[in-house]
Order: sequence, then C-alpha cells, then structure tokens
Amino acid sequence: MSSTIFYRFRSQKDLSRVQFDGTGITVFDLKREIILQNKLNSNLDFVLTLLHSDTNEPYDDDNTVIPRSSSVIARRSPPMKKGRGTAGRYLVGKPRINRTAP
Amino acid sequence: MDQFRFFCLGGGNEVGRSSHIIQFKGKTVMLDAGVHPAFQGMASLPFYDEFDLGTVDVLLISHFHLDHAASLPYVMQKTNFKGRVFMTHPTKAIYRWLLNDFVRVTAIDDDSNQLYSDKDLKDSFDRIETIDFHSTIEIDGIRFTAYQAGHVLGAAMFFIEIAGIKVLFTGDFSREEDRHLSVAEVPPVRPDVLITESTFGTATHEPREEKEKKLTTMIHSTLANGGRVLMPVFALGRAQELLLILDEYWSQHQDLENIKVYYASDLARKCLAVYQTYINMMNENIRKKFRDTNKNPFQFQYIKNIKNLSKFDDFQPSVVVASPGMLQNGVSRALLEKWAPDPRNTLIMTGYSVEGTMAKEILLEPTEIPSQQNPDVLIPRRMTVEEISFAAHVDYEQNSKFIELVNPKTIVLVHGESNPMGRLKSALLSKYSKYKNTPDEVKVYNPRNCEDLLVEFKGIKIAKAMGT
Ligand SMILES: [Zn+2]
Ligand SMILES: [Zn+2]
Repeated sequence: MSSTIFYRFRSQKDLSRVQFDGTGITVFDLKREIILQNKLNSNLDFVLTLLHSDTNEPYDDDNTVIPRSSSVIARRSPPMKKGRGTAGRYLVGKPRINRTAP
Repeated sequence: MDQFRFFCLGGGNEVGRSSHIIQFKGKTVMLDAGVHPAFQGMASLPFYDEFDLGTVDVLLISHFHLDHAASLPYVMQKTNFKGRVFMTHPTKAIYRWLLNDFVRVTAIDDDSNQLYSDKDLKDSFDRIETIDFHSTIEIDGIRFTAYQAGHVLGAAMFFIEIAGIKVLFTGDFSREEDRHLSVAEVPPVRPDVLITESTFGTATHEPREEKEKKLTTMIHSTLANGGRVLMPVFALGRAQELLLILDEYWSQHQDLENIKVYYASDLARKCLAVYQTYINMMNENIRKKFRDTNKNPFQFQYIKNIKNLSKFDDFQPSVVVASPGMLQNGVSRALLEKWAPDPRNTLIMTGYSVEGTMAKEILLEPTEIPSQQNPDVLIPRRMTVEEISFAAHVDYEQNSKFIELVNPKTIVLVHGESNPMGRLKSALLSKYSKYKNTPDEVKVYNPRNCEDLLVEFKGIKIAKAMGT
C-alpha cells in the first residue's frame, strides 16, 4: 500500500507529492525524493531544508521519520560558500548521524 | 535612519539567473527573473524560496536574454507573486518567441524537467505591461524610467525612485556603438545607488575594427584552406550584429561568392519582423541603411536561413552561425561534434561563455569532447578553437568611465563571476580611495546570492533629495 507526503517549495503555490511504502519516511529519503523528482541534480550546489508546514520549524535531523500524509515545505538555499552545497549528499551519501543528539 | 535593502536571488557572484530585490520604506521592486544557462529545470532558477515574492510591488525586466527573463512565467504562474511586470516593447515582442522556443527546447530535452508550459507562458504574457524609453511610470510611490542600455534590441536600464532614494539598475549594457545598437545612456539625475553588471571585470576589449578584422581574416583563411567555420551564438541579440558583419564582408569579397553562410535559427527568422519594426530604436547607422535601401537590413543578402540540419548539405566549406551559444545541445552542438575531428575547421566563440557549459570547457582546448547524446563516447577535437568576444558588455575602461559619469555614492556589483567581480571591486575602491572617510566616500559591494546588503540613508539626505 502506497503512502503519500505532500510538499511544496516555499516559493510555490501548489502542492506536489511523494509516494512511498510504509507508515513514514525519513527526512533523508524525502529530501532525496524531492531532489530527484524536481531534477535538481543538474546543479547540486545548494542546501535543501525541509520545514514543518504548520510551524515553519526546520527538520534538523535527517533521521527523523515524517509520518505519512504530512505536508512539509522545501526550501532551496544557496551554499554558505560556492561549492559547499550539501544537496549532493542525499544522492550519493548516507544519512548524517546527528552527534549532538542524546 | 532608513535602510535600503538589496537582496540577490541570483546573479550574485555568478553570470546567470539574474534576479534582485530592492526594498525601501516598505516598497519592493524586483529586477529581472532569469535562469542559469548551465543548469536545467528548477536547478536553473534563482533562489526564489529565500524571499516572499508575494510582497513584490513591481518587477522590471531589463532585456530578453534568458539569464534575465526566462523564469518570468514561473514567477507569474507558479508562485504567489502579485506584482506588476514591465519591459520595453521590443523586449516583450522578442520575449514571446524566445520563451516559446525555450519551452519547446526544454520539452525535447526532458518533458518532466519543464519549469512551466506553453499555457503558462500564454496566460502570463498579456499581464506584462510595456514601458517606452524615456518615459516614467509611477505605481504607488515607486517611480521608474527606462533608458537605453545598448547590449541588445530593447535592452533597458531602469532608474528607480522610492521615497527619495534613487537607484540605477544597468542590466547588461554596452558603451561602444556597433552596426545597429546605440550606446547606453547616462541618466540626467545622479542616483544614490548604482547596481551594475561586472561581467568582464577589469578586462579590456579590443577595438571593434580590430576584432572584426580578426574575425573575417580567420573565417576567410579557414575557408581558403578547405575548412568549415562554426560560430555558436545565442539566437537573438549579438547574432544579428555578427550577421551584419558577415553579410557586408561577403558583399565585398567576390571570391567568397560560392561559399555559403548559414544561419541555423528558426527563432531568428520569426523575429525578423520585430527587428524591422523597431529599427527606430537602433542607431543612426542602421536607420540610414534602412532609409537608403528601403529594405530590412536584417534580411541578409548572402546569408541563408535554415531551420535545422536536415536541409544542410555538408559537402564543401561553409560558415554556420548556430544556436545555442553555450553548445549544450541542438544545432551548434551537433556541428561541433561533427566538425571537431578535422584540423582544417575553426570554431569561433564570440559570446560570453558561461561557467559550467561546453562553451566554457571548449575554450580550454581539450583533446576530446564528450558526445552529448552519449557522454561515454569521446570525440577527438582537432579543429581550431578561437575566442573573439563580440559580447556587448562594458569592459573596465567603459564601465569605470560610465560609473564616473553616473556618479553614485554606492555601487553594487552583480552579473559577474567572483574573480572578475572581485578585481573590479578592488579597482573601483582604489580609484575612489581619495574620498575614503569623507562625505564623498564611494562604497562598493559585491554580495553573494541571498547575502543581505543594508545601506543606511540618513533622514536629512532623503529630505534634501525629495526637495529637488
Ligand atoms: Zn544579456
Ligand atoms: Zn546577462
């Protein structure tokens, strides 16, 4: 059975959706899906942040599981320095372990 | 104290996806809405997520080039932008054909990669308003005037006044008259802030006559040696100037009579009428030509327009002027791959080559280039690669002279790669170092994308400015 997460880029009016199997999806996997779905890979030198759609709080931890049927806001930002964009990590790398977490 | 805010959504320390925000006293003006030619789809957009486009009052488009105008339908249809949009008449006329083509080309590439559809383009087109050169429009406390920028047909600089603060945005501009365009004008009033392009940084252009001589000599000798000449161009703008040069040269050299010059652009053919309609906005040189011959000077005598390569017989030496200028795909790329192995052939790059594109890569004269259809296949590159820039952007001398005449207190550099832009900043700072720590101090900024730039304007100065 397929589950859905709704998202929109912060500047966009309309919602898009990501389909997946299971009851939730990690922030890491959702970012990866959003990058692929929007073909953002022609330039990965940017930072992708996901925000709670109700509070605008960012999801800081890539391992956080977002329950299905949630809606989130995606935000594409320039890197702090040219060439330091982190978006590429979601296509090739592994989830970052949040070391500050208890 | 009131703060003037400048915020770069794109085109900060880069060439491509120009889009800037200026804010003062609660008014918001957006300047340009481009895409980055090196990237596709959403990745080519300015960083629109970083600003609430719903707050923009007025959006001014400087000229029709994709790096300044191609994300406009996206802004108008896909975001909560509610502002009014202005461009000059010729810009609007060409914008329509150009973006039509942009939608078509990106659809061929990959349908799912489209930023907007033909319908989005049509639905937003009628909401674009036009402004005449030298006319001033006032909307809810924002006054703006369009001046000629040279560069390409219809290119405008905008002089903007918000609550006494005056800003001049140059867009892309040129200060050297060529065969058809006038030079950029110096507005009669001194702005507080100048937002200027810095594409060529501190570089110096060769004089026009020398460049033209170099170009025609190179073409002539390649053809005489049995080679072919490829000139990748952006379909509209500088291409028309190059074609004027070639047409004239062919008319003066009978030995070239049997050698064909092709211009592979359906888009340019469609825009011929626009070029004819707006001859009155070009320089005296071309207007005279039009008056004297009563013929469209852009209806060339020796240049044959072809839609695509299916009608092109590649049996003998020829010259092909073809888009896209950045060699990413299409006719120019196909011919590059076909002609690259033969050392008799010459590739002449005449435009500004954007970072991250084949146009930039080929200038390094690689021994092999990847096939676009199949990147694993490498094609040997033995053809000569030459760069003769006909890009209509100011060089250092022209830009610093222009800045001197405009005489702003604050300069914001945009539309340039980090290094040339940084060099321009240093050169300007040292030029104005004598005013440092005086009331005439000139400040120069080169903000990165989404780096906030706030400039304080003391109330007294504004009151004075408003009184004039
Ligand atoms: Zn331009
Ligand atoms: Zn430009």
